[in-house]
Amino acid sequence: MESKYNRKSPAVKRLMKEAAELRDPTEHYHAQPLEDNLFEWHFTVRGPPDSDFDGGIYHGRIVLPPEYPMKPPSIILLTPNGRFEVGKKICLSISGHHPETWQPSWSIRTALIAIIGFMPTRGEGAIGSLDYTPEERKMLAKKSQDYCCESCGIPMKAALLPLTSNSLPSEYDRKDKELAKQISFKAESSTSSKSNEMQVLPTIASPDSTGETPPTTENQAAMSVSEQADFPSRAQTNPSEDTSQPTPPTNRPLSPRQRRAQQPRRPASPVYPQGQHQADRTNHLGSAILIVLLTLALAALIFRRVYLANEYKFDYEL
Amino acid sequence: MAEEQQDPSQGDMEGVNCLAYDEAIMAQQDRIQQEIATSNPLVSDRQELSVLNKEYALDDIVYQQKIKDLHKKYSYIRKTRPDGNCFYRAFGFSHLEALLDNSKELHRFKAVAAKSKLDLVTQGFTEFTIEDFHNTFMDLIEIVEKQGTITDLLNAFNDQSTSDYLVVYLRLLTSGYLQREGGFFEHFIEGGRSIKEFCQQEVEPMSKESDHIHIIALAQALNVSILVEYMDRGEGGTVNHHVFPEGSDPHVYLLYRPGHYDILYK
Repeated sequence: MESKYNRKSPAVKRLMKEAAELRDPTEHYHAQPLEDNLFEWHFTVRGPPDSDFDGGIYHGRIVLPPEYPMKPPSIILLTPNGRFEVGKKICLSISGHHPETWQPSWSIRTALIAIIGFMPTRGEGAIGSLDYTPEERKMLAKKSQDYCCESCGIPMKAALLPLTSNSLPSEYDRKDKELAKQISFKAESSTSSKSNEMQVLPTIASPDSTGETPPTTENQAAMSVSEQADFPSRAQTNPSEDTSQPTPPTNRPLSPRQRRAQQPRRPASPVYPQGQHQADRTNHLGSAILIVLLTLALAALIFRRVYLANEYKFDYEL
Repeated sequence: MAEEQQDPSQGDMEGVNCLAYDEAIMAQQDRIQQEIATSNPLVSDRQELSVLNKEYALDDIVYQQKIKDLHKKYSYIRKTRPDGNCFYRAFGFSHLEALLDNSKELHRFKAVAAKSKLDLVTQGFTEFTIEDFHNTFMDLIEIVEKQGTITDLLNAFNDQSTSDYLVVYLRLLTSGYLQREGGFFEHFIEGGRSIKEFCQQEVEPMSKESDHIHIIALAQALNVSILVEYMDRGEGGTVNHHVFPEGSDPHVYLLYRPGHYDILYK
């Protein structure tokens, strides 16, 4: 990895340093860059004790902009948790009500601790936020331990150091916890979730509750649309039937509350995964048009054949 | 078929309509910043002070009079990009440029700068996140020490990442000093915020504009005297100045027009 990047780039220099800082798992969090991409990390955090997320171990992605640390990282949770939507960017961001903004002297660790601290707070209808009932969250917390990230390959149970009873937060954690209080989280939809959301738009009432952005040009955000769009639907599948294999897409059983919360977001009976559909639509619009043309041509031919077979005469010109 | 083609574009339109206000504002701010960036270098070449005359209408008597007053004391101006970081960039450039001909002050300044990181770390700033910014600051001082030219400095200050890293560090120094002297400064903070909150909302984030309180703190943190000429629409026909800290012998001369700082030369 070292040779692939320009070590003079401030972002590379900084991320290398952060990767070294965060190399060893702690009791509460762990994050490392992917082997082939210093600008995408995977992280694991422990749900805060004394909350509905107690016992939960949650996994997710962090996408760093090329301007990092001058611009904030984006965080995407992959484990269903009942607080943040799965597969949707949560952005450390500016908001009219929370003037706090990202600071270049914060780090990925600050962001992780902020995520942990933010879990028990109320979602209050913000896009990307979920307000599941405590029971649902506790259930998801229990199930979160069975999640296994395909690209990391680490079972969640082994991703963090076990909790010890006398575990004191380290000096660094304390500082970052204080900083984290200043951070406001806001969902920001990525390029791909934007396309997912198109179908949802009519159901959204007030414009200030949405988190739409124009398509970003960041290469990370643009990366592999189909993979990103596809992930949430797989990750949200209910692992209760089959804990050893949490990935296959199944129609998960929903509590009435969940159903209410989720129904407008998904077609009732998807013929095939929605992400796939979206990707096809954007990527293969050309082929779709071709297919329609060919079908029309075939139809015309069959039509003609039928007429000919019945020995009708054409009174009109084709 | 026509319908099929329309579909995605329609979706896009709706998406744009449903932009959250914050996101829309941010996008607009980005666009404005980009426009400003293409028309203004981070730090410009030194120009005749008379360029100011052209910026205001001839019948804008208040400003034309004040520019005339400014001419009595200064001959040149160096402009900075109006991106909210102009005070720090103007201060940084102006002081380092002055150090090119002042080895005694350079020696003192380098020692203060070198020690400053330790002060911040003792205060609770995270070392591994601030050291890159500090290194950039020290690298710039080194350019001066090695008898670099004004062009070397200008190139460094116009390199976005070097320049921004310097701004981050000067912001950290300002924040650090304000918090160390919190007992004094907290009386000047509006809105019932603590000094810490003020620093995290108004000092440390990039693009937050600077006021008196920032200037006093940075001047004292580095022990560098700054003189600011205030030029606004106020009556009187003369430009008022203020020296930070009061009564000191200024090394850095800045021109303030509402919302923006540029560098002045005698």
